[in-house]
Amino acid sequence: MDRRAFMRCVGCTAAVAASQNTFLPRFLGGIQNAMAFDYADQLSSVEARYYKKREGGGVECGICPRHCYVTDLERGYCGVRENRGDIYYTLVYGLACSLNVDPIEKKPLYHFLPRTTALSMATAGCNVNCKFCQNWEISQVRPEQLNNLELPPRALVDICRQRNVPTIAYTYSEPVIFYEYMYDTAELGHKHDIRSVMITGGYIEEKPLADLLPHLDAVKVDLKAIREQYYKDVVDGELQPVLDRLVQIKESGVWLEIVYLVVPTLNDTDAEFRELAQWIKTNLGADTPVHFSRFFPQYLLKNLPPTPENTLQNAHDICQAEGLEFVYLGNLRGHQAESTYCPKCSKMLIGRRGYTIFEYNLDGNLCKFCGREIPGLF
Amino acid sequence: MSRVIVVRWAGGKADFGLDKATYGIMLEAALRALRQTADLDSVIGDMFPRGAIGIKTNCLTRKLNSTPVALADGLAEILTERGVDENNIVVWDRSNRELSEAGFLLNASFTGRRCLGTDTSGVGYSSRFFESGGVNSLVSEILTRTVEHSINLPVLKDHSLAGMSAGMKNMYGAIHNPNKYHGNNCSPYCAHVSNLAPIRSKHRMTILDAVRVQFNGGPGYMAQYIETYAGIIVSADPIACDRVGLEILEHMRKKYGLPTLENDGRPVKYLQPATELGLGESDLSKIELKVLSADQTGSVRDGELY
Ligand code: SF4
Repeated sequence: MDRRAFMRCVGCTAAVAASQNTFLPRFLGGIQNAMAFDYADQLSSVEARYYKKREGGGVECGICPRHCYVTDLERGYCGVRENRGDIYYTLVYGLACSLNVDPIEKKPLYHFLPRTTALSMATAGCNVNCKFCQNWEISQVRPEQLNNLELPPRALVDICRQRNVPTIAYTYSEPVIFYEYMYDTAELGHKHDIRSVMITGGYIEEKPLADLLPHLDAVKVDLKAIREQYYKDVVDGELQPVLDRLVQIKESGVWLEIVYLVVPTLNDTDAEFRELAQWIKTNLGADTPVHFSRFFPQYLLKNLPPTPENTLQNAHDICQAEGLEFVYLGNLRGHQAESTYCPKCSKMLIGRRGYTIFEYNLDGNLCKFCGREIPGLF
Repeated sequence: MSRVIVVRWAGGKADFGLDKATYGIMLEAALRALRQTADLDSVIGDMFPRGAIGIKTNCLTRKLNSTPVALADGLAEILTERGVDENNIVVWDRSNRELSEAGFLLNASFTGRRCLGTDTSGVGYSSRFFESGGVNSLVSEILTRTVEHSINLPVLKDHSLAGMSAGMKNMYGAIHNPNKYHGNNCSPYCAHVSNLAPIRSKHRMTILDAVRVQFNGGPGYMAQYIETYAGIIVSADPIACDRVGLEILEHMRKKYGLPTLENDGRPVKYLQPATELGLGESDLSKIELKVLSADQTGSVRDGELY
């Protein structure tokens, strides 16, 4: 029975199961509603890009800096790419596990089409394993462990056009691991005036990113720390490739914003905030927006408290003192640092409370009060 | 001292595998030698007092080189003949598709010996994480909720990353995120997966199928690297069982002029950390190894490891 057939008869199955409960051996109580069907049938088998066959067997994936070496029938670290007879496949092409229409502010992108929405989608899988992941139920599982919607690129673009949604956001999990799906959707989207934004950890190889950037309109990178050790201990990744990609994105001209999740005791010292600000100013420019986001305990980091408000304020103040022009605080509803201020005249340009905009003082890209140009797409 | 029993079939060719009756003879010989008693009723009664028994297979390579159905059937028959209710036996792996493609007949119904994947609707993985070392995983609910005792029924083979896939590596099929733990030759992850509470506490025995051994090019199937060994390796100690399997694998590689796994850049590193976790014994000098040879007359004699 395939899954659709199963879903059709799920009501009657439950009834049958309920009526038979009393006759079941006690130990099988946990699977009394069991009905065998195969999620794996639902996976895609589109050939992956950027992989090489290795002499002697196996393939090497070149999408992200892990460069997984994967032999027959095995999968890469992200769990969504599989070697079958030394042809490497993406298993999640056209298979979204999450789909929502979100305010663009939720990504967060504050300098990109404010007051608009984005069709936000994800597939299963991720190429790192952050201990604080808030979406681990989709990012840290295999695609067959989820219910997926069949939504090829054309379907995503069509939804946007039908519903007047100007942007598609590849988000929630890690779009790098569904690269082919994202690429084709973004490319098709541009042909129909639908923009694309990638919400990513930035752990991607240079060439795939270079090829993708012309099809993107904005990128938000979660820069998880400014110390390599944190990436090793908490993220299971590496910092340097992420820093290199940030520079690459900035140089490409695609709009870039950065989020830094402040985790108490792990990446919250003054020295780190200062180092971060200086690195951004030197390598990306003072006008790159930076969002400090509040940590809440979850997934594998349940032993730490939420980030204290004064730690976030401290991060904000240090970065401003170092000369960064657009420093925001996230997950702190009602804080004044949710809003955008003109670096020249200090007046409020975009007043935000959560995802609501209550004040808007821009003329195109210019401050209504002093005429200062504000970077971004407005 | 950990005891490991190797039983080799001397009753005819095994190039195309063995049937249920043959496996039955070998398993009975192994269980008697392992528990040092001829009384199989008491062996089964002592090892599996009440509660359901899970039999974890390895069905990665379809019918080519997965856990043989005949082995699972032979084992289930021994259990049921010695008083285990067939309703209390669950043959399982991570997915229905893999079980099915390996030749197992799925049974997720309400009666009979069950055979099902963790991906069966209504089964799935635990809602809480189990942790050991750097491993944080959800564990199949077949293991956490359904069974009291676990018999590991893997296949001995070469593995491109871990060096060897045997009993401990097979438990990657019990967790939801195995792909996260293949770095550094799967070490110490393989040890920590076996140390996850439900896996460690419910493990009763490993029966490692070594009838047709893939000594190179694994874990996928490569016909040119298959050697008939015609044996099973049985132990209550999951590390000792793998350690003996490694001896056999390395011996075959040498015979065919292949480098040792270490020289091939795939040292089997996870046995030592597993020993440090107290899961068993990896030092051959501390393993009591008994090799037997069985044939269709039911006669069992001392045999040779190689
Ligand atoms: S995209 Fe996935 S398979 Fe490819 S290198 Fe990264 S983690 Fe490995």
